[in-house]
Amino acid sequence: MVKVDPVVGKYIHLTVQGIEYRVFYEESGQGIPMICMHSGGGDGMEWRALLNDPEIISKYHLIAPNLPYHGKSLPPESVEWWKQEYRLTRNFFIEFNLALSQALGLERPVYIGCYVGGHMALDLALEYPDDFRAVIAVGVAQRRGPATLDTFYHPSVSNHYRMVNGMYFSAPTNPQEYRREVSWCSMQCAAPTTKGDLYYYFVDHDLSGKTQLIDTMSCAVYMLTGDYDPTTTVEASLELAAQIKGSKFTEMKGMSHAGMAENPPVFKKYLMPILNEIAEKSKSN
Amino acid sequence: MAVCFIDPKNAVEFKDILNADKEFKIAARYMTKDVCIEAGDTKCIVKFRDGVVTQIKSENAFADPWDFAIRGSIDSWEKFLQPIPPRFYDGIFGGMLRGNFRMEGDTVAALSHLWAVTRMLDIFREQQNK
Repeated sequence: MVKVDPVVGKYIHLTVQGIEYRVFYEESGQGIPMICMHSGGGDGMEWRALLNDPEIISKYHLIAPNLPYHGKSLPPESVEWWKQEYRLTRNFFIEFNLALSQALGLERPVYIGCYVGGHMALDLALEYPDDFRAVIAVGVAQRRGPATLDTFYHPSVSNHYRMVNGMYFSAPTNPQEYRREVSWCSMQCAAPTTKGDLYYYFVDHDLSGKTQLIDTMSCAVYMLTGDYDPTTTVEASLELAAQIKGSKFTEMKGMSHAGMAENPPVFKKYLMPILNEIAEKSKSN
Repeated sequence: MAVCFIDPKNAVEFKDILNADKEFKIAARYMTKDVCIEAGDTKCIVKFRDGVVTQIKSENAFADPWDFAIRGSIDSWEKFLQPIPPRFYDGIFGGMLRGNFRMEGDTVAALSHLWAVTRMLDIFREQQNK
């Protein structure tokens, strides 16, 4: 018998900051809409396990986009993109998510994101709590601080660098096949994207002095961080969670930087209580 | 616990094990660099020529040149070499982010050859726990 995934890929044209982008996304399931945002230099394939999980897609309508310039979301035709360095800004990222949600007619979707996507989850909760019923931020801190990004897009540094980062940003306890998949996915995107995305991650994302403004009564905030993650430590996430009244933090044991891909069954164990809680709240609202 | 890759008795055997490893052979292709691995006050220099390890030198290596170095304390390497290393000691890059290891010298070359280096260190861990 031929095995076919329940996942469907589509293209949608979105205008963000006056520029039209042809955006690829995958979707599956039905029920509460949930945008699944990938990490820096990644794309929607990171979420393949969730998009194929029968229990999750029986209750949730998952949408996993590729940001412009990532994966099948090619650079826009109207921009001479080769004359400028790719850089993801906070404002663009926010407006992209709002445009996607609006164009797909999503009704107060849940937003789950990993790292670059996870940081965006909290920026959306801060700025647009009426547009999202809940956010789930994987691996987040208040701010990242300065970092040297040049080696992420350097003519003398091979793609192996990104591959190895993918491999070793997954915990050593996790199955080899998943860790290798994370490393393979880390090599997929065009070379400039990792550095460009990390501009948002390291520089443009900064919740300093704003955390108390996040209204978790309007938009529920959940956080998940792996104990092995060297980029966002459990301690950094706990510190952030303590500042956001009403937020809920869970430490993921034996997980690192890419939970949903490095060990999907374990990630699901941590995610399901959150999804069930959101589903219950959605029933009563 | 001794740090296995510093021990000169292991040098020839480890060189042969590295060169026979299927993943390492792919990861190290085209690599011609001298890599210094330092554990506390001790070190070895792994010499790569056209993707092959030609020598692991830990005796009388004090004046040997190298292209890049990975440095950590004895304690850091002992944690790294455990079968399941504790958090922030499981990978060189993550370990550097948390201050447990340092990379020095031609870091651009080091990052470009990071797959070969990390596979080499994983093989050392396998040997440490044989």
